[in-house]
Order: sequence, then structure tokens, then C-alpha cells
Amino acid sequence: MIYSEFIMDYSKLKKFVGKIENATKVEEGKNLSCGDEVTLYLLLDGNRIVDAKFEGHGCTISQASTNVMIEQIIGKTKEEALELLRNAENMILGKEFNEKLLGPILNFYDVKNYPMRVKCFLLPWKTLEMALK
Amino acid sequence: MRSGVWSDKEWECIKSEIPVLDRTVNGKRLVYLDNAASTLKAKSVIDKMADFYLYHYSNIHRAVHTLASEATMAYEQAREKIGRFLNAQLGEVVFTSGTTMGINLLVNSFVRSGLLREGDVVLLTQVEHHANLVPWLRASKFHGFRIEYIQADEKGVILKEAIEKATSVKPKVVSITAQSNVTGQELPLNFVREAFPNAILIIDGAQLIPHKKIDVKALDIDFLVFSAHKMLGPTGVGVLYGKRELLERMEPFLYGGEMIDRVTFEDATFNVPPYKFEAGTPHIAGVVGFGYTLELLENLDLEKIEKQVEILSRYLIDSLSRLDFLELYGPLDDSHRSLVSFNVQGVHPHDVSHVLDQMFGVATRSGHHCAQPLMSILKRGSKIDFPNSTVRASVYFYNTFDDIDTLVEGLKFVRKMFSE
Repeated sequence: MIYSEFIMDYSKLKKFVGKIENATKVEEGKNLSCGDEVTLYLLLDGNRIVDAKFEGHGCTISQASTNVMIEQIIGKTKEEALELLRNAENMILGKEFNEKLLGPILNFYDVKNYPMRVKCFLLPWKTLEMALK
Repeated sequence: MRSGVWSDKEWECIKSEIPVLDRTVNGKRLVYLDNAASTLKAKSVIDKMADFYLYHYSNIHRAVHTLASEATMAYEQAREKIGRFLNAQLGEVVFTSGTTMGINLLVNSFVRSGLLREGDVVLLTQVEHHANLVPWLRASKFHGFRIEYIQADEKGVILKEAIEKATSVKPKVVSITAQSNVTGQELPLNFVREAFPNAILIIDGAQLIPHKKIDVKALDIDFLVFSAHKMLGPTGVGVLYGKRELLERMEPFLYGGEMIDRVTFEDATFNVPPYKFEAGTPHIAGVVGFGYTLELLENLDLEKIEKQVEILSRYLIDSLSRLDFLELYGPLDDSHRSLVSFNVQGVHPHDVSHVLDQMFGVATRSGHHCAQPLMSILKRGSKIDFPNSTVRASVYFYNTFDDIDTLVEGLKFVRKMFSE
């Protein structure tokens, strides 16, 4: 089962839920299959992500994935965040990836066995990708 | 516990026809409750389709050789069976790829034939799934006809008063589902026909016809569309019934081979219905297979199938109604058939479906069921934090009370797991 303690705990985290009023980037993401929506707020200082928050509803996987992503990207440069994104994407699509780089994101490794849930995991990452483009 | 209309002998036959019912998933007996999306398949139909493909197959209608004759006869026999099933004439049964193509054919043909012009009104209901919504919406942008809706109440139910009220928009075309794939409500088709005696009436039978016969003449329906795969048949096959005089007046949807009468370098004239709507090489084995499917269902007895689905639906509604942590959608009365949409308070539908599958072997559907506008109506009427989607459990004649009991057990587990 993909509902590990880690994922259950992170799905309930409230720390990163909310708006950033002076956000540099606001991006809306949508999972077409279930209607889940996420709004991602990024505060950039030059090239560096100094704060991030989100609003929206979603399933356990997408909520946990969003929380873990935000925790991991705060403090990283755009390039570093994009590198993380590429590896997270590769992990979930069953391709080669850098384990060391992913850290706690590895907790989602088994989600790759459930094609319909891959979209739930990717929702925040796809939104981040659009935001950083 | 089996219970219901089937004798031991009939049940044995059903079990041998649907071998996947003996499968386990994730270590549990498969409980398939996603029939509204697509039903399981029958062994005798697959065997006969294999035999057809291997020993009697060729292209149809053109060549004079023996295989072509056998294949053509098998294809046309399927049309005869479906014609009898619907109480339609042979020329009124058009094969399509499914319900979605049926609607697209009608929309496009109507505008090309002048049956639908700028200023005309097409009346739909607010519970249509995307197949009977998006084709009309998009065409209305290009061709200037208007879309109006029969309003659903906050539970997603279409009341007779709402149907009556919609008569004021004077629709040229009324296109409605016979049963909602989200609320499970069977719509009062007789009442609709009486309310709109002069409109072209299109019925989307995709959900209803697998478990309840539709007599196109008795209901005075102008067009009926449905899919084979929701009633044990192959995917990629559907039927469009149309009144002969209307089909004759209509411009074809797809142009190509077989549907023509005479072709010059300047223009073409068309074959008669149904052939003018069947351009190109169709899904021959699929159509033949659908004929066998219908034979199987008729041998099982269509009335018994209807009764069994009714019994199971009642049991499903009653069982879920007793769980106070669920929110159920739809009328929940006698018009509610074959499927129930619901939410577990505080748990996302994807999580519910995922745990039901992984821990209990129960297959349900989670999502917006290709009916996003209807989700917004349910959201308005919802007393919980509505997640823009629902879980849906749907039965067919091979389900049992046991299946529903397993679902209930699974839902209690889900509730517990996510409230800790």
C-alpha cells in the first residue's frame, strides 16, 4: 500500500497551506481526471525560491506530494528546483534518477506502480514546472 | 449469498461465461462494481468472435467470394438482431464506434442537413455526461444555434416540473440521457416525449439499455444511441437508431467507401440508410460479436436481467444509506437504478477507490465521471467539504449481495483508516 505513515502525515500538514500576498509567481495546476486543483505561490529572491505555499483540494497523494515538494524547494535556486523536478518525474515514470538528490521524495517511489495515481503525485511538480518556465 | 432471480443452473452458466469473476486481485476475490464504465466480457462471445476472425473473416459488402459472403451475412445478422431488440426496421440501425460517435454523427449531420439552423434551440439536461454535451456546445459556437438545459435540483435530480418548465424554450431538438451515469436516475422518457411532441427526440441509452429494454416505436423516439461495451459486448462498437424518414433527409457524417451511390470527379451521391452512415471498413468482428452478445443476454432473459439489477440496486442504496459517514447523491427512490455515487466524509474519492481495490479487491470508479458541470451542482447541494468528484459503485446482473457487503466492509475500513 502506498499509504505509509510518512505519506499520511505529510498529507495532513498545514504548514505550507495558504497564500503569499507578495508572491513573485502564482500558478494554477489541475488534474483533469479528478478535478483536483492546486494554486502554488512562489516568492523568489533573484534566482532563489525563498518561500512557497499552496491552496487547493486533493487526495492524500497529491496533498502529501505538494507538502514534500514545497519543503524541498524552499532555499533552492530555480535550476536546482528544476533538477529535482526532473529526477522526481523520472522516479515516478520508472526511469533512471538520482536517489541521493531526492531524499524524502523517495517515500513516493511505490506510487509509480499505480498509473492513475502518478498524476496525483505529479500535480504539484507540473504546476511548479509551469511556474518556473 | 447470491439471492435474486437466478436459478442454480443459470448462476452456473453466468459464472462460466464471466471467468474473471473467479479471479483474485491483491489476494482478494474480485468484486467488480465499475459496470457503468464498462462491463466484464463473456467467454462464449469471445470464443465466437475468435472463430469468426479465424475462419469466416473477410471485408464485407463488396467482394463476391465465399468468405465475404459469410462475413457479410454475419454482420447483417447482427443488425437484424439489434433491430428486433429495439423494435426498429433494418434500415434504421446504423453501426457506430459507440455513444460518443453517435452523438457527434447527429450533431454534424443536423447542421449539414439544415435540420439545425441559426436561432434554433437544442434542449439538454444538466445531468448529461460530456458525450451528450460537448459536441452540442462546440457546434453551437460555429453554427449559431442555442443550448438550453432542463435544470437539475441540488441533488442532481431532474424533476417533472423542471421538464415542464423547459417547454417554454420551444426546442427543435431534445437530447437527453435515459439514465444519468452520476445520479443513477432513470428519466421519465414517456413524459419527455409528451412534453415535446414536435421536437426531434434523441435518447442517450448508454446507461439504461444494458439493463432495461428501450422500445423505440412505443416511446416514439427519433434517435437512440448506445454502446456495446456497457452490456458485455466488445469495445469500439455502438448503435445509432434513427427514424427512417429522418435518416433519409440527413447528410452523412463520414464520407468514404461503401456509403456512396455514384461518384464522379465532380461530386458524389449516397447509398441508402443505414449504409450511407457507415463509411469505410467498420469494426466487423465487433459488430458480429455484439450480435452474439445480444443473443446471450436474450437467452439469459432480458426481463430477469432487469429484475436482478433492480434488486441489487435497491440493496446497494439501502446498504450505503445505513452508513452515516457517507453522503449519497441522486434520487435514492424507485427511479434510482444500477449505480450510486457517494463520498466518504473527509476522504478524497481517489483514496477511497484505491484502498477499496488494494485491501478488498473492490473495483469502483472515482472522479468526475465525465460530467463536470453536474459536479458543480452536487457541490452546491453538498453538506460536506465536496471534493469536485465522487466515488461510484455500479452493478450488473452478475453481481451479488456479497459483493455489496464487501463494499460496505471496505468503506467502514476506509473511514477508520483516514480518521485516525
